[in-house]
Amino acid sequence: MPRSAAWARYNWRVVWLSLLYAAFLIAAVYGFKHELVPAALKYPVAVLPALPIIGIFFAIGRYLVEEQDEYIRMLMVRQTLWATGFTLSCATIWGFLESFDLVGHADGYYVVIAWFFGLGVGAMVNRLTLGDGGC
Amino acid sequence: MAYSDFTPAQRAHTKRILWLLLAYAIILPPLVWIRANTAVAGYVPTLMAIAASIPVLGIFASWGRYLSDERDEYHQTLTLKRIAIATNVTMGAAVVWGFLQAFGAMPLIETYWVPFVWVVIQGMFACVSGFSNRGRDAA
Repeated sequence: MPRSAAWARYNWRVVWLSLLYAAFLIAAVYGFKHELVPAALKYPVAVLPALPIIGIFFAIGRYLVEEQDEYIRMLMVRQTLWATGFTLSCATIWGFLESFDLVGHADGYYVVIAWFFGLGVGAMVNRLTLGDGGC
Repeated sequence: MAYSDFTPAQRAHTKRILWLLLAYAIILPPLVWIRANTAVAGYVPTLMAIAASIPVLGIFASWGRYLSDERDEYHQTLTLKRIAIATNVTMGAAVVWGFLQAFGAMPLIETYWVPFVWVVIQGMFACVSGFSNRGRDAA
């Protein structure tokens, strides 16, 4: 399937944001591990690796706005809906398992990992129901 | 928008949500009481935790069903927009909180707060759009 200009722009945004994420994460981990971060800057430095990930969510939103092919856009919307349903379901089940002391705490960013995995689930559902995986 | 103005899909969705919330309200208190006051062991606590989750999972499934059933494209688009905003805000909050936890700056919290935030954002969006529509109608 030929990719649109919006898809190319989306890919470039994600690549740059991923590089930024790697740079921020390494810097933050190094800083905290070697106790180089002053107390006043701990919160901003801890939030720093989160910013490129938030940027990826905006890139997905921007892609949905820019994509001119309605069918491709519909596939992506379905994927994000499946990802959201999958993630919220996992978070609900894990939350109750935690409440009943059956599993340990999970860091909040695992929610985001589940969401990106959910995009894959959405692509599979698209493939099975529409015969086209989408993005 | 009054209930009488709801589309058939919105009415069905509202009914499903009310039934699921009722089921949740009935199921959760005894499970919490049993966990706090009795010595359940083995696979029973796992089943209890999953039983508490099922009505909430049903609510997410109901949203999906609503989007499939809704024939009014305007309402469908509004709902998609609301879900997109709620998802972005929730994922943003989760990733920020996750890194604050990972670097020891914030305490760990149960993950069911994630869907809670998602539902609250949806509600806030509905309130904001309701008020803005009322202001526009009054003008």
